[in-house]
Amino acid sequence: MTAMTAILSHPLVRLIAGFVVWSVAFVVLYAAQALGCAYGWGDWHRPILWLLFLLALVPMAWLALLGPRHDHQHALNMAAVWTNRAALLAAVLIFLPVTFASLCQ
Amino acid sequence: MSERPSPIALHKQLEAIWSTPPGLARLSSVNHTILGKRFMALALCFFGIGGLLSMLIRAQMATPDSAFLGPDIYNQVFTMHGTVMMFLFAIPMFEGFAIYMLPKMLGARDLAFPRLTAYGFWCYLFGGSILIVAMLAGVAPNGGWFMYTPLSSKPYTPGINADVWLLGITFVEISAVTAAVELFVTILKMRAPGMALSRMPLFAWYMLVTAGMMIIGFPPLILGSILLELERAFDLPFFDPTRGGDPLLWQHLFWLFGHPEVYIIFLPAAGALSTIIPVFAQRPILGYRAIIAAIVAMAFLSFGLWVHHMFTVGIPHLALAFFSAASALVAIPTAVQIFAWIGTLASGKPRWDIPMLYVAGFFIVFVIGGLTGVMLAMVPFNTQAHDSYFVVAHLHYVLVGGFVFPMLAAIYYWLPHISGRQSLYRLSIPAFWLILIGFNLTFFLMHLTGLMGMPRRISTYPSNWGWDWLNLLSSVGGFVLTMGFALVLADMVLQFRFGARFRRDPWRAGTLEWATATPPPSYNLASIPHIEARADQLQPALIGPTLAGGQGYLGFARAGEQETLGVNMVTGAVEHLITLPRRSYLPLSTALATASFFLALLFRLYWLAPIGALVTLGLFLVWPVSLGEKRDKGPIDIGRGVSVPPDAEAADNVTVLANRTALAMNATLFASLLFGGLFLLVVAPNWQDTGAAQVPLWAAALAILAAMSGAALAARARQGNARGGTTHLDLILAVLAQLAAMATTIAAVLWLDDPTGHAREAVPFVVLGYAGLHCGLGAVMSAHAFWRLTRGYISARRQTEMVLAALWNGYAAGAVILAFGLTGILAMGGAMP
Repeated sequence: MTAMTAILSHPLVRLIAGFVVWSVAFVVLYAAQALGCAYGWGDWHRPILWLLFLLALVPMAWLALLGPRHDHQHALNMAAVWTNRAALLAAVLIFLPVTFASLCQ
Repeated sequence: MSERPSPIALHKQLEAIWSTPPGLARLSSVNHTILGKRFMALALCFFGIGGLLSMLIRAQMATPDSAFLGPDIYNQVFTMHGTVMMFLFAIPMFEGFAIYMLPKMLGARDLAFPRLTAYGFWCYLFGGSILIVAMLAGVAPNGGWFMYTPLSSKPYTPGINADVWLLGITFVEISAVTAAVELFVTILKMRAPGMALSRMPLFAWYMLVTAGMMIIGFPPLILGSILLELERAFDLPFFDPTRGGDPLLWQHLFWLFGHPEVYIIFLPAAGALSTIIPVFAQRPILGYRAIIAAIVAMAFLSFGLWVHHMFTVGIPHLALAFFSAASALVAIPTAVQIFAWIGTLASGKPRWDIPMLYVAGFFIVFVIGGLTGVMLAMVPFNTQAHDSYFVVAHLHYVLVGGFVFPMLAAIYYWLPHISGRQSLYRLSIPAFWLILIGFNLTFFLMHLTGLMGMPRRISTYPSNWGWDWLNLLSSVGGFVLTMGFALVLADMVLQFRFGARFRRDPWRAGTLEWATATPPPSYNLASIPHIEARADQLQPALIGPTLAGGQGYLGFARAGEQETLGVNMVTGAVEHLITLPRRSYLPLSTALATASFFLALLFRLYWLAPIGALVTLGLFLVWPVSLGEKRDKGPIDIGRGVSVPPDAEAADNVTVLANRTALAMNATLFASLLFGGLFLLVVAPNWQDTGAAQVPLWAAALAILAAMSGAALAARARQGNARGGTTHLDLILAVLAQLAAMATTIAAVLWLDDPTGHAREAVPFVVLGYAGLHCGLGAVMSAHAFWRLTRGYISARRQTEMVLAALWNGYAAGAVILAFGLTGILAMGGAMP
């Protein structure tokens, strides 16, 4: 976690971190949905999507719970806090259909 | 530098260094003020052409069974209208505005790469001219502005119409790519000292995010255009389902660009609004931090909703739900900005002036466009309204509301900065009302026409379907709208001719661009300020004379050099002195060579195209010849008692950052290509039992080994140079290793079966070709570093070329590994029953 914290000490990285994770999760979930349909994952398909969904939420929740850093970039740090919380909200709302929507039809 | 010259004397000294002489020498200009104005003027010319085309469309649609334009011409007219407005007007207009404005607003004297700005302008001019000449010759693109396959594939568009679009637009997009890189670098590295990111004006934040979006958003379009042109020219079947391709791949690549593109156009306009509204509300903007968060959220979300353009192509419910939710959710960060602007006006002391009329027009029109956008985000409604005039109405409300109205507000707000004169007002108010009424009459009715079932792109319609009066009124509105724009044009001309002169800052603004004289001198600011407050709450009228007197940084002319400052990306602490290149004909000659490449492809002179490409590459290698230093200079005085090293001696300078940015853009293109290959493997028909791999394993292993050796040697050369060691041998070996990797990769391409037979062969053909090309580029970068080393331009402190060689060789190695990896996956996938 120390290395991660060091990377996140850069204000611009903190600003986009949540949505970068969101983007990766979006691509992975969309790809898993397509692969599951193309190669017939059957009953495993939805549990795998559930798992990926929850895995994506972990780092996003961690980022959303991080408070603002106390340095001279206060405005930027507060913007980063709100952006990461927005990313978590976007993940919950946009990825939630993996739990109920038809997978391949 | 001990005696400060008078402001007039300082002006003359700086003007002698920075100005562009008259006459033919204007062709050599690299100054951002001149080029920004050229971009905007040319964009307005294209806006006029696009507007004339829209008049033809409305004349045709005014009455049923119209014979004014036949269907063939009509197809060209509506395709060119969309193409011109999107690619030749909207994007270059905001690029030109940012090129003109950003250095002034940030307190820099020019952009990071002035010659690249000029090169981008010439590419824009030449590429746009190809499209317009083709239209005059009657062979304009005719498949709709998004060029869907299979309609735009060779069997259904056999002429050069589609090639004109693919090659012309790709040529024009070079200007977008170059602008994105240098705006990104300039905003991060060339602000006035003290201007930390958290003090940056919101317009710069909007442009930073927009540049980032362009870096990620444009490569899929460029890749799609390359693949479709390869299919059309050489019959490589990327979009042909009978041979393992898929027409939907085009739609994915196009809309991966196309939807973020809407926000790429909107965000600069929103940046202008965020600058103008606080000035007229007479209070700082409300929610500075929330707006930054909203821009970032909007940028990312806009990449997650491209499939809402494809809801009717047959997609599983889960994917529909993803994209529908994202499409609706993006309204929230948009609303955050709208409420921040309304709140700023509500809590301030608003004063009305012409720019505010257009701001009010923006609120009305854009909010309607946003609401119909949320309607279209809902899959059931989208299915009903798809490809109808409702969509035409929606997209015009979004784009005209989100870009044209703010642009008109910006023109009235900033034109005095360009002209040095104030608006006359007599034509401005009637022009606004004509535009607002004309626009709503034209496009609001199209919602109804669309809901009554009228499909878009039809060239005529029968008179008994109930669309007659709506279409007639839309056409009347269209002509009223045109009259409004004609009045704006007249108003602009009159302002330049008869407007009253003023000194500085007529609006009592808070941003630094108004601290320059008006019209601005070629060097922007005679000295660079130290910023100690948020840079949208300054007092330009007070700062301007102080800076003109040379009381900031670099308040002197030194040795005929064009000097400006580089700062820490986050804190804005001054870090290095940047010396910019002087005017040159190289950008023009390089753009002409690039034009020869594109024209050779267009006219199928395939023997000429590689020559054009090689001449272009050769000219690019000439660009740095006159740059650099042969000795370490150490810290140099920049005034105010501060000394900093020159840019070349700074480890993290603008050139390195620009190359990192360009590689990120390049990687996005490559990732799109890998996605395309995997998409075809998983989704496209006719991939079962297509055989096993053709590329021998030893060839792949050899190419990967050679490319990784080249990368390791270039990295070792960089490290050795930083320690002060001799690195000539490492660089020579790196060149040889990358040449070996290139040769092996090309040989692997030749091992493939006929690439026209199936996408399983065509995709590796392109992927391995891309990897081989980048091995070649890696070799060129190492050879260039070797040459600069032998000429004495590189030392342990001046290591830019060594860093670039390491970066490009590392990228090449990664590309080779991934290219052979994808080739293997496709081969195995094709062999699966």
